[in-house]
Amino acid sequence: MLKAGKRLGVVFFPAYDWSISPTHPEREERLLYTQDQLKEEGLFDTEGVREYKPKVASREDVERVHFCFPDVDAVATRSHLISAGGAMTAAGLVMEGERDRAFALVRPPGHHAMKVVHGSRGFCNINIEAVMIEWVRENYGPKRIAVVDTDCHHGDGTQDIYWHDPDVLFISLHQDGRTLYPGTGFPRDCGGPKAMGRTVNIPLPPGTADEGFLMVMERVVMPILEDFKPELVINSAGQDNHFSDPITNMNFSAQGYARLSEMLKPDIAVLEGGYSIQGALPYVNLGICLAMAGLDYSCVREPQYDPKALAQEPRLSEYIKELCDLVPGVYFHPPAESPDGFEAKGWFVRHKDIFYDTDGINEAQTESLLLCDHCRGLVKYESRSSKNPPCLGLDLPIKACDRCRDMAYKILEESQIKGGYRYLQLINRKDRDYLRYGF
Amino acid sequence: MILGIDVGGTHTDAVAVDLGSGRIAAACKVPTDHEDLLSSIVAALTDILGQVDKASVSQLNLSTTLATNAIVQGKTEDVGLLVSAGPGIDPDNYMLCRDYHVLPGAIDHRGFETRRLDPGELDRAVAACRGHGCRVFAAVGKFSVRNPVHENAIRRQVNKSGPADFVTAGHELGGRLNFPRRIATAYFNCAVWRLYNTFADAVHEALDRLGLGHVAVNVLKADGGTSPFVLSRRLPVQSIFSGPAASVMGIIALCDINFDSIILDIGGTTTDIAVFASGAPLVEHDGIHIGSHPTLVRALKVRSIGIGGDSAVYVIGDLVRVGPNRLGPCLAAGGRHPTLTDALNCIGACAHGDVQASQQGLAAFAQERSLSREALAQKAVDFAARAIKDEVRDLVREINERPVYTIHELLEGQRIVPRKIYIMGGPAQAMRQAVFQAFSLSVEVPGEAAVANAVGAALTRITRGIELFADTEKGAMFIPALGHRENVPRTYGLKDAERDIKNQLLGHLAELGAPADASAFQITQASCFNMVKDAALSGKNIRVKCQITPGVVRTLRR
Repeated sequence: MLKAGKRLGVVFFPAYDWSISPTHPEREERLLYTQDQLKEEGLFDTEGVREYKPKVASREDVERVHFCFPDVDAVATRSHLISAGGAMTAAGLVMEGERDRAFALVRPPGHHAMKVVHGSRGFCNINIEAVMIEWVRENYGPKRIAVVDTDCHHGDGTQDIYWHDPDVLFISLHQDGRTLYPGTGFPRDCGGPKAMGRTVNIPLPPGTADEGFLMVMERVVMPILEDFKPELVINSAGQDNHFSDPITNMNFSAQGYARLSEMLKPDIAVLEGGYSIQGALPYVNLGICLAMAGLDYSCVREPQYDPKALAQEPRLSEYIKELCDLVPGVYFHPPAESPDGFEAKGWFVRHKDIFYDTDGINEAQTESLLLCDHCRGLVKYESRSSKNPPCLGLDLPIKACDRCRDMAYKILEESQIKGGYRYLQLINRKDRDYLRYGF
Repeated sequence: MILGIDVGGTHTDAVAVDLGSGRIAAACKVPTDHEDLLSSIVAALTDILGQVDKASVSQLNLSTTLATNAIVQGKTEDVGLLVSAGPGIDPDNYMLCRDYHVLPGAIDHRGFETRRLDPGELDRAVAACRGHGCRVFAAVGKFSVRNPVHENAIRRQVNKSGPADFVTAGHELGGRLNFPRRIATAYFNCAVWRLYNTFADAVHEALDRLGLGHVAVNVLKADGGTSPFVLSRRLPVQSIFSGPAASVMGIIALCDINFDSIILDIGGTTTDIAVFASGAPLVEHDGIHIGSHPTLVRALKVRSIGIGGDSAVYVIGDLVRVGPNRLGPCLAAGGRHPTLTDALNCIGACAHGDVQASQQGLAAFAQERSLSREALAQKAVDFAARAIKDEVRDLVREINERPVYTIHELLEGQRIVPRKIYIMGGPAQAMRQAVFQAFSLSVEVPGEAAVANAVGAALTRITRGIELFADTEKGAMFIPALGHRENVPRTYGLKDAERDIKNQLLGHLAELGAPADASAFQITQASCFNMVKDAALSGKNIRVKCQITPGVVRTLRR
């Protein structure tokens, strides 16, 4: 009989009654064949592998992370709350020691959802990893966490949320932004002034195959993780680097994904994108489950896998080698100044123009970090969009100093008196004070 | 008149139930001879036929441990197990027997053949099995329930070199997805086939001798239903572990169960716990384990805990425990170690056997541990009731936390909240008060519980569960259990599938000479997914499951 080397919990929730639209890639059918494959393989009969039902994230769980304008209900449906809840369930299994590792095989995804949310971008409304991470920190104390995003698209939402957080290391492997949505994620983008080098972007050229991904894992990701020493490793396990994915251009395989998981040893994996629902997902998900459970995955092969056709071109290998020489410097020797933004009156300010492709919304945002010598600093978000009038969000981190806290309440009070913002929201993680006005 | 026989571990119980009046016309209990089950059945039948007119008997329902014993005692036959696995978990993990051959070939989750079966390898594998003397074969393919082409090819090849005695094709075991379970189920089905059929022949001969040749024979299954003998000859594996089902169905026949309820069958060694949702017994989601092998054999959800009348009473520090060891018989029946029954005797909950022996023995036992006899007895009974309660709570929680796959079910799904407890078995009446106190729920002990299992066997209706899978892009519909495959138009929809599966199931049972009550027909799962190719609708993927719901043909009148 098969017995897992690591006790694995799989939170499987395919949301068979929810879609963005009937023929949208994010539709009911997406995880159907994955479930067929996992069932047919008898995965959940394997000793040490168990399936779990997700919990539902509450409004509070979302508002611990996001500024949702006009409110949570307007931007997140029940399916989003369940998919975030599924990630929380997975994390709970690991934090409580019930399982060694857990995989939240849930939809819809979340890694394009940024700190401020006006709607859906890249099929994402709320960032399910971030909701999970902040739930873990709320219930199990502040943690040093590494998020390794292996979705083919740059995890710009997760990057945005943790841009100023030095305790969260965000590493994203993705298809070069010059060739794919969302068009961001270059090595120069390495974090805010208080978290320089804690965002590591690795843009890979179209056509990158197993060889290239595994080289990046070995030469860039693993050495950085070894140095950072996270208490939790989270994998945003998007599966659209697969050679059969309809909306990307990579040549990664199920074997490659399984090997990647075996190297990374994530405590928690969370499904992100991946829309080759028949040719890739059944095999990639099986491979990841087996690898996470410490089981043999050598016989997991896509029927259409052709090693010759999928071999990596030599010039790509050369390019990726150079990338592997260059990228670790982002973490080990970050630049002195943050590349994006400027200092003004004790604040570090960035302007962002954000397009919500799924919902067709334009947002103009000013993000200001209070430059503080005692903590990582209060962050202020001033945002307006084609959907909402000016809104204000204030984010006070768990380890904030008193000065930053006083400043947060002062700004909140002044903004209320002066008006000018339709919605105001304060996230005070230090004292667990969450306030909303104008809702 | 229906006869019900339950061949149990110690006794073989039999009843004759008059269908018209709903009364027990005759009942008997004979010892079970494990070396010769048929003789026990004949003895029970002879006893019953002494009480009722054989001409009035129309049906015999039989619950037997034959297949179970054969497997437990290893009295099985060598099987040639031929599998087509394709990509996934290494199929070498499922090697169940010597003649196990993994053949190159693959079917994918949609039922497309992605790699053809290698005829040369198949030829060699069959020859090797034959060389080892295999006369029964199992043909099992991954995703064969989507497309049985490989299993059918294996069967043809097996029969080409002279017909095999018996071949089980995996898809005939039902449409559920689980390749390792399909392998194990097909294997065990073959391994007990000959023994079971020899037994079936002997039963028919015996019935002829007894003048019951005209009687229709059905066999109990673990899922709380029966199967016509002709069908169970092809699917003998379904007859294993039918014992608990007989008892549970007996309760249904004896009581009118409407609510979410708990059934406790307290025996000598164990207490079996079953759960009813709105009056219907819950069936195990997957299937039972045979040894360490999970199978596709459906069974009622029954959990056993090591607490029964003969469970030993222990004192560990301040804690008084009962079970899980059986050190019976109890003192009252001449045993040497105090058991739960002795404790029940001491608190006056019952007067089983030699009550004085219980009292004296328990008093001595208590004194050695500086406890009073009454306190020890009460603590032992309370412990037993509490242990049962904890197990019930875990079981109900497990059922309520079973994964679901739609938002609707997750947020609005039905939860089980037990409102009533039914107790049966030897110590049922004696445990009633303790169970009531532990659960604070209404407790009922049905009368005539002593032969409830045989009553259950007699009155259980024929059940069958089948699955349909349709893919309108391929233009095909398939019901694996019936081996029924037909072409369907692109307009084929969920309603068509629900109609077809019903007709097919009812037709199939009628063909077996066992027409089912259409009112017991139930669609248990129905889903329809749009399949999209290049951003356009390419077809529908339809899955329907149905069953004849487990139940009794009538309840017993008291």
